Amino acid sequence: MNDNEAKVNVTFSGANGDLLEPVPFSATDAEIKSWVTEAVTNGSVPGIPATSTADFSDFVIDRFAATEIRPNLLILRPKTPFGQVFEIIR
Amino acid sequence: MLETGLIVGHHDEPLYWHVPNDRTVVSLPDSETLWGKLWAHFKYGSLKGFAHSHPGSGIPSPSHTDVTTFAAIETGLGVPLDWWITSQDHVVLLRRVPPGSHNTPGFQHAYFSTVIEAPPWTEKLRRLSEPNEEI
Repeated sequence: MNDNEAKVNVTFSGANGDLLEPVPFSATDAEIKSWVTEAVTNGSVPGIPATSTADFSDFVIDRFAATEIRPNLLILRPKTPFGQVFEIIR
Repeated sequence: MLETGLIVGHHDEPLYWHVPNDRTVVSLPDSETLWGKLWAHFKYGSLKGFAHSHPGSGIPSPSHTDVTTFAAIETGLGVPLDWWITSQDHVVLLRRVPPGSHNTPGFQHAYFSTVIEAPPWTEKLRRLSEPNEEI
């Protein structure tokens, strides 16, 4: 994996897995969600069953820069805010 | 008053009090830590649901943020959970309407809301919702 790439970890439907291929660490949230949606839909994420209705619109991405023991890491997880958090509804 | 959260176990026992420093009177911000705790208790098989407090009195109702967060977490875990919201004098329990059993246009996520008697952890959740209260 290059210095500008990252592993993508996904949690979905009670399972957890990594995308088979690294992605650019600087990819936008929308790009990452798009790639993960495609991968989960076609069943190419080890450990996560193929799901044609996978929807990550209310998930968020945590970004962790590489350390001495771990490469760049992107984690896609459900959002967790509660209350009157202002959101732009499009 | 500061919004406060609680992960609840299958025997209605408190599992994790969520009192982040950046909570406000009307919000609990997104939290990587909270997701980690929810995931851990799900994997342990101990997770029943999540409660949070709202300001004021009367029958509380979920915000748009609340409902979309309920749905996102259930999508991540692959199971429905129980969701409680407390006010100063009421508690409601929300559970997801089974897919296909409602057809209201514009509603992606629908939850039944029921006023219930206060669970045993309610008093402490309300107390921790007061400024300067500690666990």
